[in-house]
Amino acid sequence: MLLHMRTKNKYILGLLTALTLPALQPVWAAGPPAPSVFSNPLALTFIILMTLLLVIIGILANILIGAADVKLRKRKKAGKQATLASVITVLLLLAAPVLYAQDPAATDAVKSGPATIAGMSSSTFYIMATVLFLELFIIIALLINIKFLLRTEKEKIAAETETPEERANKLSWWDRFNSLRPVTEEASLDLGHDYDGIRELNNRLPPWWLYGFYACIIFAGIYLWRFHVSHTGPSSKQEYERSVASAELKIQEYLKQKGDAVDETNVTILKEDADIAAGKAVFLKSCAACHTETGGGNIGPNLTDDYWIHGNDIKIMFKTIRYGINAMPSWQSQYSNKQIAQVASYIKVKLHGTNPPNPKAPQGTLMKEEAAPAAPAAPAADSAAQTKKVAMN
Amino acid sequence: MQVEKFYYDNKIVKAFGLATVIFGIVGMLAGLWAAIQIYYPAISLNFPPTTFGRIRPLHTNAIIFAFVGNASFAGIYYSLQRLCKARLFSDKLSWIHFWGWQAIIASAAITLLLGITTGKEYAELEWPIDIAITLIWVVFGINMFGTILKRRERHLYVAIWFYIATWVTVALLHIVNSIEIPVSFLKSYSWYAGVQDALVQWWYGHNAVAFFLTTPVLGLMYYFLPKASGRPVYSYRLSIIHFWALIFIYIWAGPHHLLYTSLPDWAQSLGTVFSIMLIAPSWGGMLNGLFTLRGAWDKVREDPVLKFMVVAITCYGMSTLEGPILSLKSVNFISHFTDWTIAHVHIGGLGWNGFLAFAILYYMIPRMWGTQLYSKKLATNHFWLGTIGIILYAVPMYWAGFEQASMWKQFTPEGQLKFQFLETVTNIVPMYVARSIGGLLYLTGALMMVYNLYRTMVAGKFIPDEAAEAPALVKEAHKKEYWHRVIERKPVTMLVLSLILVSIGGLVQMIPTFLVKENIPTITSVKPYTPLELQGRDIYIREGCYTCHSQMVRPFRDEVARYGEYSKAGEFVYDHPFQWGSKRTGPDLARIGGKYPDSWHYTHMYDPRLTQQLSIMPRYVWIIRNNLDTTSTPAKIRAMKTLGVPYPDGYDQVANRDLMHQADSIAANLKKDKIETAPTKEIVALIAYLQRVGRDIKLEPKPLAENK
Repeated sequence: MLLHMRTKNKYILGLLTALTLPALQPVWAAGPPAPSVFSNPLALTFIILMTLLLVIIGILANILIGAADVKLRKRKKAGKQATLASVITVLLLLAAPVLYAQDPAATDAVKSGPATIAGMSSSTFYIMATVLFLELFIIIALLINIKFLLRTEKEKIAAETETPEERANKLSWWDRFNSLRPVTEEASLDLGHDYDGIRELNNRLPPWWLYGFYACIIFAGIYLWRFHVSHTGPSSKQEYERSVASAELKIQEYLKQKGDAVDETNVTILKEDADIAAGKAVFLKSCAACHTETGGGNIGPNLTDDYWIHGNDIKIMFKTIRYGINAMPSWQSQYSNKQIAQVASYIKVKLHGTNPPNPKAPQGTLMKEEAAPAAPAAPAADSAAQTKKVAMN
Repeated sequence: MQVEKFYYDNKIVKAFGLATVIFGIVGMLAGLWAAIQIYYPAISLNFPPTTFGRIRPLHTNAIIFAFVGNASFAGIYYSLQRLCKARLFSDKLSWIHFWGWQAIIASAAITLLLGITTGKEYAELEWPIDIAITLIWVVFGINMFGTILKRRERHLYVAIWFYIATWVTVALLHIVNSIEIPVSFLKSYSWYAGVQDALVQWWYGHNAVAFFLTTPVLGLMYYFLPKASGRPVYSYRLSIIHFWALIFIYIWAGPHHLLYTSLPDWAQSLGTVFSIMLIAPSWGGMLNGLFTLRGAWDKVREDPVLKFMVVAITCYGMSTLEGPILSLKSVNFISHFTDWTIAHVHIGGLGWNGFLAFAILYYMIPRMWGTQLYSKKLATNHFWLGTIGIILYAVPMYWAGFEQASMWKQFTPEGQLKFQFLETVTNIVPMYVARSIGGLLYLTGALMMVYNLYRTMVAGKFIPDEAAEAPALVKEAHKKEYWHRVIERKPVTMLVLSLILVSIGGLVQMIPTFLVKENIPTITSVKPYTPLELQGRDIYIREGCYTCHSQMVRPFRDEVARYGEYSKAGEFVYDHPFQWGSKRTGPDLARIGGKYPDSWHYTHMYDPRLTQQLSIMPRYVWIIRNNLDTTSTPAKIRAMKTLGVPYPDGYDQVANRDLMHQADSIAANLKKDKIETAPTKEIVALIAYLQRVGRDIKLEPKPLAENK
C-alpha cells in the first residue's frame, strides 16, 4: 500500500521530517562543531543513535500514514477531510514537544557552564540526550498511534467472528490485575442482599491490595524492630547530632580551603568601600529595626555617640554582634564572621561620630576613640558555651 | 407476611441540608478571608474578631462541624431511614438534635470571634459548649440507635456500620480530649499539660479527621454511590475487612502529627507504622467505591452527582496515601510546619468532604422535592470550577511547602543560615495569592450550586413525609449464617466491638506517657509561670497566636541555629494547654524569651511592619490599649494548683501583688526605651509571657559531660 501513497501523504511525511529537524538545530547551534566532539566515542555513538532513531521515525511515520490511508479510503464518504485533518493534528502534536525542546536545552547550556560530561561539554551532552529522549518519545507515540489504527481493524474482524457474550467475557490486563470477574458473571457473585435496592457482590480482594496490606504490616514490624529493638536506626537526637557533626566537618574544610578565618581574636576595622557598603546593607536589613537607620537608637542604644555599654573596640563589638548580650540578639547563625566584621566596621567608620536627629540618650560609659577598651561585661553563661562551640570553626 | 406502611421524615433532612449549604458558604468565606489576610494583613481591619488568629479557628470549626457535620447528619438521616426501612426513632429528638447542633455552631462562631477559646486545635470551644456537644451527641445517638432497633431490615448495611463507629468514637474522643478545669463561665484550662496534652490533642485531632470527616462520609458513599449509579457494591468481603481494619488502625496514628517533637520516640514510631498500615484499609474504601462504578462509567459522563463522587473518592485515595507518606520521618522532616500540610488537608477537605457533600445534596434535593435537578449543565460547570479550584489551591501550596522548607534548611558554606525567616515567607507570597484564587473559584462553584438547588426547590414540591412500605421484622429461628452476618444483626454488639477496637490504640499510647516518668524527664529549673506571665499566656491563647507560631524547636541543625536549643519534654510540664502549634506562618517562638528587648515586642505588637518591613503579621493595637483583667488571677492560680502546678498554699490571694510588681518593672523597662505605658495594660502581661517562654532550661546547671 505504500506504493499507492498519495501526494498529500508525501506532503505530511515531509512536514513531519521538517518538524523533527529543528530538534537537531541546537546541536549545530551549540557552537562551532569542534572536531573534538566527533572524535569523542560517546558523542559519535549518540549521533549514530540519533540518526538511527530518526530513520526509525521515518519508517514508522510511513507505516502510520499508510494505515491512516487505508482507513481513510474505507471512510471515503464519511468526512475524508476531517480524518486527514486529524492525522495532521496528531503529527503536529507529536512534533510540538520537539519545538519546545529547544528552550530547556538552551537553558541547560547556559546553566552548565564549562563543566564537561564524558569528555564533551555538558551542554552538548544534555542537548544530545534531550534529542534522544524526544526521539524515543516520538517513536512511542507513533507506535501507540499505529496500534490504535490497526486495532480498530482487528476489532472489526473480531466483531464479525465473536459473539457479544465472548466479547463481554474478555478481561483486560487491568481486570486481571485486580482479579475482576467479567460483568456477565456478576449474577454468580451477587450475595442476594438488598438494602433499599442496593445489592452487594462478593468480589475477591484485589491481590495487589491484599499483598500491599501484608507488605505494610511487615514494614511496620521491621521499622519498630530497627528503631526500638536493634537500634540500628538513629533516634531523633542521634540524627541531630550526626547532622551537626557532619556539617561542622564540611564547614571546617571549606574555611581551611578558603583561608578565611576572621574571628574576634583577629578582627580589624575594614576600610574598603566594598566592605563598608556590605556592612551598611546588613545594618539596614537587621540592625536598623532597633538602632534606627541613622544609628541614633530607639529600642537599641545610640551607636553614634561616645557612650558604649559593652565597649567600643572592634573586637568587642564583633563579639557583641556575633554572640549577642542581654537584649542584643546573637547574629552568628544569620551572618558570617566576615559580614559581622563589615557591619561593625560600618558602625565605627560611618555611623560613629555623626549627629543624627532625635538620638537616644547616652547609655553606658564614655569611651573616646583610641582609648583602651574597657573590660567587657562578663559574658552570660550561655554565651560562654557558644564561644566554646564556635571556636571550633 | 404483613406489609406495613410508614413514612420517611424528609423535613429533618431538608433542615440539615439547608444548614449544610449555609454553613458551607460561611466556612468557605471565612477561609477565603483568612487566606487573603496572609498576603494583605490590612484586611484584618484592625478589629479583633476579624484577625487571622480568630478567623482561622472559625474557618476550621465551621467547615468541620457545621458544613461537613450538617452534611453528614442530613445524609445519615436520609439513608438510615431507607436502610432500616423505618421512620426516624423520634421526631422530637431529631429536632432537638437539629436545633441543638445549630445553637452549638452559633455559640461557637460567637465565642471564637470573641477570642474565647481553649487553644487546642479543632477543639477550641469552651467547656459549656463542650458539654452541649456531648448532650446533643447523645441525643443523636439515641435517635440513631432507636431507628436501628425498630428497623424492618434484619441486617445492617455497611453504611450503618460506619455510622455506628462514628458515633461511638467521636463520643470517646470528644470527652477524653475536652477534660478541662473551668476557671470561670467561659474559661478553662486543659487537664493535661505539655507532652501529654499534645498526645491527647493529636489523638483527638487526627481521629476527628478519621471519625468525623472520614467514616461518616464513607458511610454516605456506601449508600449514595450505589444508589446514584444503580450498580451493586463491588465487594462485601472488602467492606468487612476495610471497615474493621480502618477503625482499629486509624486511632493509633495520631502521633504522626508530632514527629521530631518532644514526644517520646517510641510513640512517634507507633504513629508512623500505624499510618503506613492504614494505607490499605483506606484504599479499600476507595476501591469499593470506584469498582462499584464498573460498568457504569458511561453514566459518570452524564451525571454530575457521579462526577462529584468520582473526584471525591479519588481525592480520598490521594490524601489517604499522602497522609502515610507524610508520616515517614524523612518526609515529615520537610513537610511539617509548612504549607504542604495545608495542601494535604485541603485535598481531603475540598475534594473528599466538599465534593461528596455536594454530590449528596444534588442527589437528595431533587428527590425530596419530587422533581429533576434544575440544571445539569450548571452542576457540571460547578464540578469543573470546583475541580480547577482544588488544583489551583493545592499546587501552589505544595510548591510553597517545598520551597519554604528548602529555604529554612539552607546554610552558607561558612555555616550560617542562608535565609532569614521572613525572606522564606515573602518568597512564597505569590503562592498565597494563587491559592486564594483557587479558593475563590471553589466558593463560586458552591454559590452556583446554591442557585441551582434553589431553582430546583422552587420548581418542585417538597414531600415532607415520603410513603414507604415493608414487611415487619418477625422473630426468626436461629439459622446458620456467615459469622459477620451474625454481627450485622446485632447493632449493640457492633457498637461494643467498635468501642473496644478504637480504645486499644489510645490506651497503649497514653497510659505509658502518663505513668512512666522516663517519658518526660524532669528539668529542675523549669518553674511555674508567674501570675502576670499566666495572664499573658491567656492573651496569647485568646489571639490564636498558635495558628501561625509553633513553640517546638525540633532537633534539626537549621532549627537549632535559627531558634536555639531544641525543645525538651520537661520544659512543658506547666503548659495547660500546650501551644506547640502545627504551622509556621511566622517563626517558632519556643525560644523567644530574652531574644528581643521589651520595647521590641511593644513596637512589634503595635505594628509588626515597624520592626520588620515586610512582615505579614496583623497589628494588635487593642492589646496595647486594653486593661488587663486581674480579677481572674486568683481563680486561675487556684485552677492551676488543682491541676498540680506547685504554687504555694494561699498564693491565689497574693498573686495579684506579685503581678503588679512584675508589671511595674516591665513598664519601667519600656520607659527606658522611651515607651510610656501603664503597667495595667494587656501588652505588659503579653511581654512578660513572651520573655519567659523557653528560658527556664538555660538556668539548668550543665551536666559534667558537657563541660569537658
